[in-house]
Amino acid sequence: MKRSKLAFWGFVGPSLFAFSLVVIIPLLVGIYYSFTDWNGIRSQVNFVGLTNYLDIFKDEGFVQAFIFTTKFTIASVISINIMGFSLALLVTRKLKISNALRTIFFMPNLIGGLILGFIWQFIFTKGFATLGELTGQRWLLGWLSNQETGFWGMVILMAWQMSGYLMVIYVAAIQNIPKELVEAAQIDGANAWERTKHIIFPLVRPAFTVSLFLTLSNSFKLYDQNLSLTGGGPANSTQMIAMNIYNTAFKFNEMGVAQAKAVVFFLVIGVITISQVYITKKSEVEM
Amino acid sequence: MKLKGKLLLILSLLIVSALMLVGCGSKESKQAADQVTVDIFQFKVEAKDALESAVAEYMKENPNVKINVQTVGGGDDYGAALKSKFASGQEPAIMNMGGMQDVKDWIEKLEDLSDQPWVDKAFNGTLEAVTADGKIYGMPFAQEGYGFIYNKSIFEKAGIDADSIKSFDALQAAVKKLDAKKDELGLKAVISFPAKETWVTGLHLSNAAFANEFSDVVEAFNAKTIDFKYADAFKKLIDLQANYGYKPDGTKGSLNAVDYSTQVEELFALEQVAITQQGNWAYGSIAGIDEEVAKNIGFLPIPVVGAKEDSIPVGIPMYWAVNNGKDESVKDAAKDFLNWLYTSEKGKQMIIHDFKFIPPFKGYEGENLEPTDPLARDILKYSNQDRTMPWVFMGYPTGWGMDKLGADIQSYLAGDLSWNQLVENAKTTWAESRK
Amino acid sequence: MNKGNKVILRIIGILTGLLFLSPFYIVVINAFKTKKELFMDTLGLPNSFSFDNFVEAWKRLDFLSVFFNSLIITVGSIVFIIIFSSMAAWMLQRTKSKLSNLIFFGYIAAMLIPFQAVMLPLVRVMGNLNLLNIPGLMFMYVGFGSSLSIFLYHGFVKGIPTALDEAATIDGCNSWQTFWHIIFPILKPITITVAILNTVWIWNDFLLPSLVINRPGTRTIPLATFFFFGEYTKQWHLALAGLGLAIIPVIIFYFFAQKHIIESVTAGSVK
Repeated sequence: MKRSKLAFWGFVGPSLFAFSLVVIIPLLVGIYYSFTDWNGIRSQVNFVGLTNYLDIFKDEGFVQAFIFTTKFTIASVISINIMGFSLALLVTRKLKISNALRTIFFMPNLIGGLILGFIWQFIFTKGFATLGELTGQRWLLGWLSNQETGFWGMVILMAWQMSGYLMVIYVAAIQNIPKELVEAAQIDGANAWERTKHIIFPLVRPAFTVSLFLTLSNSFKLYDQNLSLTGGGPANSTQMIAMNIYNTAFKFNEMGVAQAKAVVFFLVIGVITISQVYITKKSEVEM
Repeated sequence: MKLKGKLLLILSLLIVSALMLVGCGSKESKQAADQVTVDIFQFKVEAKDALESAVAEYMKENPNVKINVQTVGGGDDYGAALKSKFASGQEPAIMNMGGMQDVKDWIEKLEDLSDQPWVDKAFNGTLEAVTADGKIYGMPFAQEGYGFIYNKSIFEKAGIDADSIKSFDALQAAVKKLDAKKDELGLKAVISFPAKETWVTGLHLSNAAFANEFSDVVEAFNAKTIDFKYADAFKKLIDLQANYGYKPDGTKGSLNAVDYSTQVEELFALEQVAITQQGNWAYGSIAGIDEEVAKNIGFLPIPVVGAKEDSIPVGIPMYWAVNNGKDESVKDAAKDFLNWLYTSEKGKQMIIHDFKFIPPFKGYEGENLEPTDPLARDILKYSNQDRTMPWVFMGYPTGWGMDKLGADIQSYLAGDLSWNQLVENAKTTWAESRK
Repeated sequence: MNKGNKVILRIIGILTGLLFLSPFYIVVINAFKTKKELFMDTLGLPNSFSFDNFVEAWKRLDFLSVFFNSLIITVGSIVFIIIFSSMAAWMLQRTKSKLSNLIFFGYIAAMLIPFQAVMLPLVRVMGNLNLLNIPGLMFMYVGFGSSLSIFLYHGFVKGIPTALDEAATIDGCNSWQTFWHIIFPILKPITITVAILNTVWIWNDFLLPSLVINRPGTRTIPLATFFFFGEYTKQWHLALAGLGLAIIPVIIFYFFAQKHIIESVTAGSVK
């Protein structure tokens, strides 16, 4: 079916206009700065070519942040998606408490990332300590004081927050599955697990693509929770990429280097996530 | 290919518009000649209410001036917010500058304040950090000082004379005595040591060592390398606090989880420890928890073995600056307001009683111009006895103190880094950032 | 499903629910404590349930006014996000051309850009356009929100048979009519999802509004709340009480929106 160009731009135009002005143009300006020595303040900006890009790879902090971010992303993408999907299955069983549960599971998203981090800091440092002293479990003491507990602290926080978010997406997909299909399978004698495996899994595949992508990009870009929970410490060992970039730009006043880091970072995740979307999309069931 | 052509067109359109939008620089909205608007952009939430009432008072006296105060809330970074202000063209007329590095970075935006009447009233050594090429670019915000804050009633109960503590050995003896009577005094530990706050360890504590290596902040700022002459004395200070500090899980590594609020508001204000390293700003935090405890505190010196053992570091944490890109009338009003705030009779009253600052200028001799809180009074006492050392940490390379040294101190406490390695690292990272 | 299974599921549901709620326990009980109590015993119940903190937080936040600002900004942005993103997503999905794919990929790729990387150029562009105000902020939310929203709509539109569009065209509808009369009503479940996800983001956003509208009179709830966090002292008891005030409306909104999704689906309008 051919649609007129006018209709195409009429529908896509308004959104694209806002998007270009707010995202694309600033991005292009940012890319331009990555080739300069701008410090974020001076009016004079000198062109320095690829120097900033070469400097990045000498920056141990950046490399370390990259590795930490990658590990964190793997752990959190897996945990969040499993939990989100399980919660969605749970709340789509017609239980009397389903509606209340949906609200409860989603509630963590109602608190902004910075405050959320502070609240969990209470839980990890005070709540865990009290529990640990009561039960004699020593591993509950001294949380967030080293890289390991900082890492798991962040994974737990994100799983708690984002699984409800993904639940919403999975719920929309599960409810979109034609009832007749599930009923037919039930009549054919398929048990709950078989129904989940053969009907629900394949049919929520598009939602899976969306969710995987969302968790990937959110975990990679994480800043607020990182700042308020661990602040990147101790010894910068839990510093993630976004914080590294932010500090380079605003603490060390190296806007050019920071923008170059952002570009490299963007390219790397771009390749990873887009290939992820491409792969998972290929195996989606066409309706 | 058709698509390529289209893409090229879109891309070039975007780039052109990007250049147009960015290129035209900042605009100043023209004010009516008789009405002047001054925007203040400041970082200290604690001073927000006091500043707003001071502004209201000033506007009553000067009806042709309108001042807007904008405060950046906690959790946000003032430097980033200020840069965005300038990038967006909504430049403030009055802003805060942190010291030498800030002045160097921002110099082209800063107004020369050398001719201001308050310059003569400034204390010795407070203006060097904001002086460049003989011009003064900043006005001191307040004086602040820090040391080992101690709980007087606990010291009394333990039978320790705080005034006699003027050396590291005396401090260590007192700490050991307290430690022996810990249970009797109801203490969880003797000291609370917030290794999580790298500004406390990497900036403030290390300053004690470097204030004896460099004579002032300017020398530190210009130093290409450091000797770390008092590294041993510095180690003693860290080890003492770590050994007798409150450790959440009993290991030194867990000190890295102790933050400011645990250190001051929980452990110290609830009288679970007797000593903690903080500054006069902690008074508000302690009083917010327990007024009675807050009345009964004072400073012990930070003793640097082999150098000054009886002094506390006192300095200027922040400066006011005026934006030189504003109209003359706006700049004049901005300067007049700042001068009024710190030197007029009404202003002085507010600086003492509302802002609760330790004044950074002379001329606050009146009886009712005494600081009201015990920590501020102690700092004046140390100053009068000439028992102070300068703040040189503001001359450290950008980020070095917190992100390099402070982070290494955390590794040292966790047992991942030897002390010798820490000292070596400090020397190399300093030299690298000053290349 | 037999009865035994249902009981087990219900127990699992209640237990996970409690686990999810436990952090809120900390928020709620500490909102009733004085500052000293809060530090003495973070996990225990407060000595008395007085509403002093809530009254104080209400006053200090100037709650009605900041609430109204948050409401206008959130609702306004979301209406525009829904209209423009659903339109664009439908057209992008239905048009099979390289340009269309490229634009779609552009939207998706943009979700990977950390906000901090475009922050300074953005305020520069917006400042030059005189858009550092509430309408400007809504415009920025439309720009930033379009990526995720188009992504979600796009996936959903794919599930709607093109036969529906074709039938409408045969009946004489133009694109505009087809979309608003036929397609948009079918999009309702995903529209509600888009609304929910964008609401929690915009309602809680701190950094962008702090750069754009951090002035007396135009502040949002998060901006005002952050005045409880000073350079050294954090007024936890007030911040938590303020947080309580701020999230109640969103919980109510979410509860009803969820109900709506379920109803619209069981009404059987899809497929």
